[in-house]
Amino acid sequence: MAKTGIQACCFLLMALAGSVLAESGERVLRVAVLTNSPPMSYTDQTGKPAGFNVGVARALCAEMKVRCELSVIELADVVEAVAAGKFDFSAVSLLATPERQAKVLFSKPYYRSNSIWFAQAGVEPGAETARVAAVAGSAQYRYAKAQGWNVRTVDHHSEFPALLSEGRVNAVLIPMATSLSLRENPSIQPLGLETTVLQAPELSGDVCFSVDPKNPELRDRINAAFDQIKRDGRFDRLNTEYLPFRLQ
Amino acid sequence: MSAWQAFLRKHWMQRSWPAGKAFAWLVSLFGLAFAAQIFWLAGDQRQVLESSARLLNSTVPSTLEQFRLARNIEQLRLDGERVFSGRTPVARQQALFIVSLLSSHPAMLADRRTAALASEVETFLVQAAREGMSEQRYAEWDTLSNRLSLLADDFSIEGANLATDDLQLMATIMLHSQFKLALVLALVAVFLGGFLFLIHRHLIRPLQKMDKALNELRSGSALTPFSRASMAEIRAVEGAIGQLRDVMHENQKARQELHVLATTDSLTGMFNRRHFLALAEEEIKRAHRYARPICVGMADLDHFKDINDRYGHAVGDRVLQSISDLFGHTLRQSDWVSRYGGEEFAFMFTETTIEEAHRLAERLRQRTADNWIDLGDGSGLQMTLSLGLAEASKGSLEAALGRADAALYTAKKQGRNRVVIAGEATATPRKAVHESSDDLDLPVDER
Repeated sequence: MAKTGIQACCFLLMALAGSVLAESGERVLRVAVLTNSPPMSYTDQTGKPAGFNVGVARALCAEMKVRCELSVIELADVVEAVAAGKFDFSAVSLLATPERQAKVLFSKPYYRSNSIWFAQAGVEPGAETARVAAVAGSAQYRYAKAQGWNVRTVDHHSEFPALLSEGRVNAVLIPMATSLSLRENPSIQPLGLETTVLQAPELSGDVCFSVDPKNPELRDRINAAFDQIKRDGRFDRLNTEYLPFRLQ
Repeated sequence: MSAWQAFLRKHWMQRSWPAGKAFAWLVSLFGLAFAAQIFWLAGDQRQVLESSARLLNSTVPSTLEQFRLARNIEQLRLDGERVFSGRTPVARQQALFIVSLLSSHPAMLADRRTAALASEVETFLVQAAREGMSEQRYAEWDTLSNRLSLLADDFSIEGANLATDDLQLMATIMLHSQFKLALVLALVAVFLGGFLFLIHRHLIRPLQKMDKALNELRSGSALTPFSRASMAEIRAVEGAIGQLRDVMHENQKARQELHVLATTDSLTGMFNRRHFLALAEEEIKRAHRYARPICVGMADLDHFKDINDRYGHAVGDRVLQSISDLFGHTLRQSDWVSRYGGEEFAFMFTETTIEEAHRLAERLRQRTADNWIDLGDGSGLQMTLSLGLAEASKGSLEAALGRADAALYTAKKQGRNRVVIAGEATATPRKAVHESSDDLDLPVDER
């Protein structure tokens, strides 16, 4: 009888210890990243996610002292996935448009962006002859659709060079940062493409990370971490690593 | 003014204050003043904290924004340089692309000066790229490049200066709070000094006075009266000491009266027999110890019983008082006399040989015989005295007194009004003694 009592006590203690350990273990944050929009996010030679946004996400996690698990996602799915709580936050540069703000929380803006019309000479934005490609789910895609342009939908930025060089499209509408790597692609350099910066309000403005709408506390922590990494220089260091000028 | 002073004196100075209450008031007053100053200081601290928070959360980020802008302007200049100096056409195209991206960068457009210059630079470079490079164009670019550098410098410096205002404000506040801190310390010092002064003035000094008064009381010297203390508790103790002093005075008086009652004869004021015997015992011992001469004597008024029988006890008492006065006048200060019983007296002559005692006794006898006792109704009477003397340098007091008494008895037997020395059978001739009495020490009151 006494023996069973001691055993029961031992079990109880072990159960308690187990629960305490489980409690003390910090929850891992699930972070969504893209891999198809260099230099912001891409897959490096070792197959791991890399890029400016990925670096910023890692710096934020380090600053918040939490472990983060990066998962790859398509741009078109980012907002819905974060809204559904599948991720704690996404390290994807999103323009904070009203329709997106209705679905997810946004961090404070970490830089300001605009959009580039990248086209063969003489193909002006909105021209009859223009056949423009844009990534599904992007603000640029929605803008082009809304303008009633002839839009070719793609899932990845990596599809652009082939489309352009094969002449299936004669223009692309892309975010400023992405245009840098596209511009450097050797296959499109002979095409002599010209850049036009589009100043439409839907295409430029503050760029943020999106956060699980049920977790405003995480949004606040991310904002504080942004302030800190911008103050202590980690942000600027990542900027220099991946981009030729300051994003601001 | 004097009326005001009188008012103050009456209602303030003369008032007594319960010490606990008075000090509680002072402490709360000090506490309030101290708390007010602390709040005053806390305001400064809050300002400093706000300033530093502003510096951290707003000024430093703004400074960094300025630095980033300066960096982009410098980048614009570098890429403009590459438009001229790029090794391949592709590199030059790439440089021009970055120039156009930079000049349309929202952050660059947000600043009017930067936006204007960047746009000028882009237009110039696009034109230069299209129309070809020349020495003149490069010279123009040099000017533009210089302007970009200067603008970048301006932003860097402006950014660095943003913090200056906050820091200066903080320095000013810190300086102010230093003064305030000094004031707080001064307040503490003043209150502390005041407290010590008040404690000394109203507690320690009255206590010292009380201690002194109690010492005086113990030593029996006159008590200096208290000045009215202002603390109620001190006043109460002072009052108690005053009462104690009065009680002690009364007790002392009573004790003295009791002593007199116990040691003297109420009719004559002479020592009573018991007290005389006690004193004489001590004196004899002392004389024996130091081998000093000492004598005792016994005296008896002759025919005193007849006086009582004839005139009554009142006259007898009057006679005894008169004789007592006479003894007081005639004897020396060092001689002791007591009423031994009825009309019988005992003497002790310290430091006196039997011869000297004899002369003294003879004088006493003579003066008694010469003394006219006024009875108040015009009549009077004279008394005579018989004395017996004995040497007391050896043997006990009792024995000496016994011998003196025997000598007295002999004097009575030999006819009274004479002095007989124990051991000598006959009384000394009256005449001779009387004549030589001038050699004796004079009584104290006649000196």
